[in-house]
Amino acid sequence: MLTRRISLSSLVFLAVFVLQESLFNQVRLPLGGFSLYLIFTLSWAALSTPELGAAIGFGAGALLDLSPTSDGPIGQWMLVLIIVGFAIAFLRYGDDSLRGNPLSLVFLVAAAMVVTLTIYLCVGAILGLELGTSFELAKTVLGNGLWTLAVAPFVLPIVSRLHRMIFDSKENL
Amino acid sequence: MRYGGDNRSRLLLVTLIVTSLFLITLDLRGVSVMSGARNAAQTVLAPIERVASSAFSPVGNFFSDISHLGRTRSKIKSLEDENALLRNQIIANQNLASQVEQLKSVLDLAGTAGFKVINAKVISQGSSASFTQTILIDAGSNMNLKRDMTVICGQGLVGVVKAVYPDSSLVMLVSDPAFKVGVRIAGTQQIGILSGQGTNTAVLQLLDSQSSVKSGDVLLARGSQGDRPFVPGVPVGEVSILLESSSAVSQIAEVKLFADLNSLGVVAVVTKAPAADPRDALVPARHMPIPVPTVTVFVTPSPSPSK
Repeated sequence: MLTRRISLSSLVFLAVFVLQESLFNQVRLPLGGFSLYLIFTLSWAALSTPELGAAIGFGAGALLDLSPTSDGPIGQWMLVLIIVGFAIAFLRYGDDSLRGNPLSLVFLVAAAMVVTLTIYLCVGAILGLELGTSFELAKTVLGNGLWTLAVAPFVLPIVSRLHRMIFDSKENL
Repeated sequence: MRYGGDNRSRLLLVTLIVTSLFLITLDLRGVSVMSGARNAAQTVLAPIERVASSAFSPVGNFFSDISHLGRTRSKIKSLEDENALLRNQIIANQNLASQVEQLKSVLDLAGTAGFKVINAKVISQGSSASFTQTILIDAGSNMNLKRDMTVICGQGLVGVVKAVYPDSSLVMLVSDPAFKVGVRIAGTQQIGILSGQGTNTAVLQLLDSQSSVKSGDVLLARGSQGDRPFVPGVPVGEVSILLESSSAVSQIAEVKLFADLNSLGVVAVVTKAPAADPRDALVPARHMPIPVPTVTVFVTPSPSPSK
């Protein structure tokens, strides 16, 4: 049962990853655009338990680190997504008012996106990578958050349906 | 239901985080297994990206048009009346035509300079969630591309090859915050360093505090030893605004880059530079310094002033 769940989820993530790499990276949207893959990962983690959230962050981060367009060393996205995956699952698991309310989940995912990119930048700064001007960075981070707010309502129902199909749990929107 | 977090989950979390820190350390120390993994992933992804690019680039262009809505609104209005099939055809044709146009201009530039180039199509515009400015092109080590080769387009410098995969290469754009190139001003030959800013403008820092620069001055790449990463003479941009700063040791100016990095379709990678530096031959035509004619008026006072 566990192997089936893990392999099915990996397939789903792989599909979204390929979609992101081949289609969504071609589009230059104003304010930096959004990453479907990150939205997908964050909402998937939000529907899980904290341990599972961290494990999802680990797997999703490993895949994202393999992307030729990621700039940091291998392991940077992994680290960031483990922390955020755990945190978002923890927050949603602990708070009853957040569960079962789709709108608050949208805001949670958007906020998590801003936090994810900020942590990514901080880790990059600690590792001594060259970053842009603070205005450009802030624009990209906040732009991504706004795009996530706009896109997440369309992505979340699909994520929740897929998640239910694979895990057959009572978690839903 | 409140989540407590027992020892088991804490152990899992710590294990995962330590694993990722371990990987970061390995990669930063340059262990080749790590870069090999990324290489393999790119080899798998490149064909898919290429197919998606050919099917999707008209749509991608459409989205980049949306971000300049003011400019394209009239064009969109005139197209509105035509039916969907025709519109699709026009977009596809325009896409091809612009690629041909870009290819022609980049070959013109390379021909003038005597560069040996390999043409490549842009297959991906970099990652939307990352903070570096990169593009992916469809030529790689199979076409004998190597790291640190100069990449140009019809207008001028685009960037430098940062990583080479079998069928594709990652190009770091001039606008990347980590990008630095030595430049000289066409005409006066003063030298300086140009750094990317993440936008379509870059910052020029002159090396000599005595030298002066004015807006409209054209900057050319200065060339590196062995022509890598930069071949000499490639136009980079023109000075737009002088930034006055009394505290700075040398003069600083803002530079508008020649290449439009948001609408790159076809680029060329310089594989071999000519033996002789092309000097100022590549300065765009409208920027050629025009000699100012000196007018001398001779007036001879008349010997007998009229009364």
